[in-house]
Amino acid sequence: MKKKKQRTLRQKLNTERSAGILCTLPFTIGFLAFMIVPMCISLYYSFCDYNILTPPVFSGLKNFKRMIEDSVFYQTLFVTFKFAIISVPLRLVFALIVAMLLFKSTKMTGIYRAMYYLPSIIGGSVAVAILWKRLFSLDGLINKILMSLGMKESVAWLGDTRTAIWTLIILAVWQFGSSMLIFLSALKQIPTSLYEAARVDGANGWQQFWKITLKLLTPTIHFNLVMQMINGFLAFTQCLIITQGKPLNSTLFYTVYMYQQSFLFGSTGYGAALAWVMLALIAFITWILFATKKLWVYDGGL
Amino acid sequence: MMKNRKKIVNVVYHIFVCAAGFIMIYPLLWMIMSSFKETSTIFTTATSLIPEHFTLENYANGWKGFAKVSFATFFKNSLFISIVATVGTVLSSSIVAYGFARCNFPGKKILFAAMLASMMLPAQVLMIPQYLWYQKLNWVGSYLPLIVPYWFAVQGFFVYLMTNFIEGIPRELDEAAKIDGCSYYGIYRRIIFPLMVPSMITGSIFSFMWRWDDFLGALLYVNKTEKYPVSLALKMFCDPSSSSDYGAMFAMATLSILPAVLIFFCLQKYLVEGISTSGLKG
Amino acid sequence: MKKKMLSLLLASAMAFSLAACGSDGGSTGSDSADTGNSTAAGSTQSSADSGSAAQDFGSAKDVSMVFSWWGNQIRNERTQASLDLYSTQNPGVTFDTQPAEWSDYWTKLSTLAAGNSLPECIQMDYSYLMQYASSDLLADLTPYVESGVLDVSDVDPGILESGSIDGKVYAVCAGVNAPSLFYNKTLMDELNIEVKDNMTLEEFMDVCRQVYEKSGVKTDLPYSAGDNYLPFNLRSHDTTQLFNEDSLNVPDADSFVEYFSIYETATKEGWIVGADVHAELTANSVEQSPLVYFSSPATQSWCGFFWSNQLSAMVAAAPEGMEIGITTWPSDDPQKSNFLKPSSFFCVSRDAGENEEEAVKVLNFLLNSQEANEILLGERGVPASSVVAAGIAPLQDETAQAVTNYINNVVTPNCSPISPAIPDGANEVYDYCNQLVDKILYGEITAEDAAKELFEKGNEIMAR
Repeated sequence: MKKKKQRTLRQKLNTERSAGILCTLPFTIGFLAFMIVPMCISLYYSFCDYNILTPPVFSGLKNFKRMIEDSVFYQTLFVTFKFAIISVPLRLVFALIVAMLLFKSTKMTGIYRAMYYLPSIIGGSVAVAILWKRLFSLDGLINKILMSLGMKESVAWLGDTRTAIWTLIILAVWQFGSSMLIFLSALKQIPTSLYEAARVDGANGWQQFWKITLKLLTPTIHFNLVMQMINGFLAFTQCLIITQGKPLNSTLFYTVYMYQQSFLFGSTGYGAALAWVMLALIAFITWILFATKKLWVYDGGL
Repeated sequence: MMKNRKKIVNVVYHIFVCAAGFIMIYPLLWMIMSSFKETSTIFTTATSLIPEHFTLENYANGWKGFAKVSFATFFKNSLFISIVATVGTVLSSSIVAYGFARCNFPGKKILFAAMLASMMLPAQVLMIPQYLWYQKLNWVGSYLPLIVPYWFAVQGFFVYLMTNFIEGIPRELDEAAKIDGCSYYGIYRRIIFPLMVPSMITGSIFSFMWRWDDFLGALLYVNKTEKYPVSLALKMFCDPSSSSDYGAMFAMATLSILPAVLIFFCLQKYLVEGISTSGLKG
Repeated sequence: MKKKMLSLLLASAMAFSLAACGSDGGSTGSDSADTGNSTAAGSTQSSADSGSAAQDFGSAKDVSMVFSWWGNQIRNERTQASLDLYSTQNPGVTFDTQPAEWSDYWTKLSTLAAGNSLPECIQMDYSYLMQYASSDLLADLTPYVESGVLDVSDVDPGILESGSIDGKVYAVCAGVNAPSLFYNKTLMDELNIEVKDNMTLEEFMDVCRQVYEKSGVKTDLPYSAGDNYLPFNLRSHDTTQLFNEDSLNVPDADSFVEYFSIYETATKEGWIVGADVHAELTANSVEQSPLVYFSSPATQSWCGFFWSNQLSAMVAAAPEGMEIGITTWPSDDPQKSNFLKPSSFFCVSRDAGENEEEAVKVLNFLLNSQEANEILLGERGVPASSVVAAGIAPLQDETAQAVTNYINNVVTPNCSPISPAIPDGANEVYDYCNQLVDKILYGEITAEDAAKELFEKGNEIMAR
């Protein structure tokens, strides 16, 4: 009798259902223990008058009403969209090209990969901030190169409302290392036998790339797109350390504005409201990316 | 003829990759070279890469740290936090990812959505609530908030990364193993786990780097100078309102990327084509 | 199979608990506790829960306190050394020191305030003092002043007053500062242009024009510094306090016109260092001030608006052969505009609990101890205690002596009390003011319109 019961327990544990629940249990616990409470508190703050130093006071939809009338809110939203929509695809294209270039193994592969990945390691350090400003300054390297190529006058890249955002976009694109690594690990997953078979069928390099590599990479591209979109909309450090939104708020990222409101201007409640609106927007975009997934993402066995 | 052409293509390839690579790492070289310049000349000679006077003084100044705590301590702290958190992240994420990728269970979609949603709130807005929560748990003043959550796969990025990877592993392998009497857990251990090594390598590289760079957490939860990690200590060199020791900062910043670079070099070779996958399709 | 699964889970759980142990034990070795929820951990690190701090451990004299401040390496070293001195003189008192970088410091401090776990001793800035004091986060030091635990007899009453709100002392001055214009003395001598103390606005602008005509070198008017220069300008017109509780304390927009028109005139005449140059610099940084950091006359300035305690940093940042002079900010009525300001304060937080008195003793030590100040050497500004200031003067270098001289002989005889500390919302008003200055520099708006917008938006922000 007892033995039978034990067997059923073991069998019960070995169903797809329980395996799924058990395997994802760490995340479930982690989410409940470390994420849900802070998230709910911040959601509550978004309905409060709160300046960190004094306890929050419930104020209904006041913060959200304020947002509707806040011109800076729309401006930062626009800047952030522009930044994300331009930098993310560029970043992915570069990452994919470089991953393809560096996939074949030669003696130098390790060093080459490191060269292309290193910019991502130094990320948002003060050194990068200083350097980036130097590169794009009036007497900086970029202007010097352009002038030797025939440009007449040096351009104040960081000081012009039209060009300043581009310095941040270029910085984001330059740091494509993480997407590149993900592409590399996905490339490794594509069985070489597929290429052999294609070669036997007489497919040339381009055909192999389109029909096999790119097709099998679509799930990874989708993944990178989702993650980079989220990161793009939540971009923070670049703006904070390099431009601080200057000039004239033309580079002010949404998250930096949120941070200013929360920690500098004493409107922590408003900051929380801003964050939750951003969450809704990102969630919507992510939902679109997932809803359109089946249209272009390869989803079959190999 | 054919051979010659191949050679030329090869040379062009290397030249191109090197040239583009130089542009990529120019800023890094600049930082490293600046760390050998005298502090007072870093800005005035910003356009030239090679220091006029080569000096190691910045390293000596930087390494002694501040408040009697040297950078050796900061490095030790950072290594400890980063390694323990990374191991936790990779292990826990891999098993959670397996659950997401291979099993259907009630609530899966909600759980997955929750995971994605948790990535969509800016870290800055969660700072205060998180602090209050960890304070309730009495974890403030220790490394626990910087480590424990990562053992519970709280970073959706890694779970999603690995889920995606596992979905790329042919299901036929699972089916075959199931027929051989393997349980779901056995499939994970014997088939999926070994095959997902590349994504775990990628994950380790990222996780280590992010934990190493993280200073917000350390800022709030570490409350003794001798427990500061490198990321926090690095910021101490600069105070815009008075004099900043940029030389020492660059020197220590240069040292601080070494561990991440070393880890990258050690691990990246597992991401080279054709070691284990060619026989995958059964 | 299930067993293997379980063992894996177990293994990770063990690794996890190991991690938990290591996190405490791995760093100092002095902490006895490693069990996560233990109270002992709280007692050694009293910031975690000051309420239950250390009451049942050891003798009553064993006190561990947290001291936090912002600053650079020099300050970190000197402050640490002076606290060490206190520990040797007062066995049983130990410090956990938490230095941080300026912006991180305030992020951290406000978060700790939300958790009711502020460090016992904190360095405070004038721009935050009002908010912290009015939110009841700082300990009232008045009783200690009365009982003599905090000896302020050598401190100038005006300076003491600046750390007080509604008659209660909340903060002790860590060093005295005054607004100072640093200028390129070498250049001015070369051009044969005289820079005198207490210039009026018109005199100052004439100097700017002359310099520009003769050498092409421009002028760096305060940039992203409305919080400093706007009130300074208003003070000369008898507005000592820009903010009321929920509005701006000026009758109409005209009060701001003069301030904005300085920028407008300078932009029209071309002698101002523009916003495009500033976009390439770190705002308000000493090293990257156009005074000492430039590539051509178009990006160079003959002067910079700073505070007196920044002089030694500026001298250190200046290129070889450039002598830096110090004088007052221009004002039509220097006597009304000039003021002495604590560069920073030391406060005791409300969360200090029963450590409060000991924390006040530390403040007293930093304020009055000759030995401590021989270590600190006026790095935060001229010591507030006149006795101590005189005592360490011979030990200071030439630059520091020049600062002391400037404060004592130029500003002190010719100044008015500092404006009251700014309330909530003021930072946002100043930020908006800086954006308007930017618009003027880009020629997008006139001074009159900027004044109007500041008046309207400022009132709106304060009313919120």
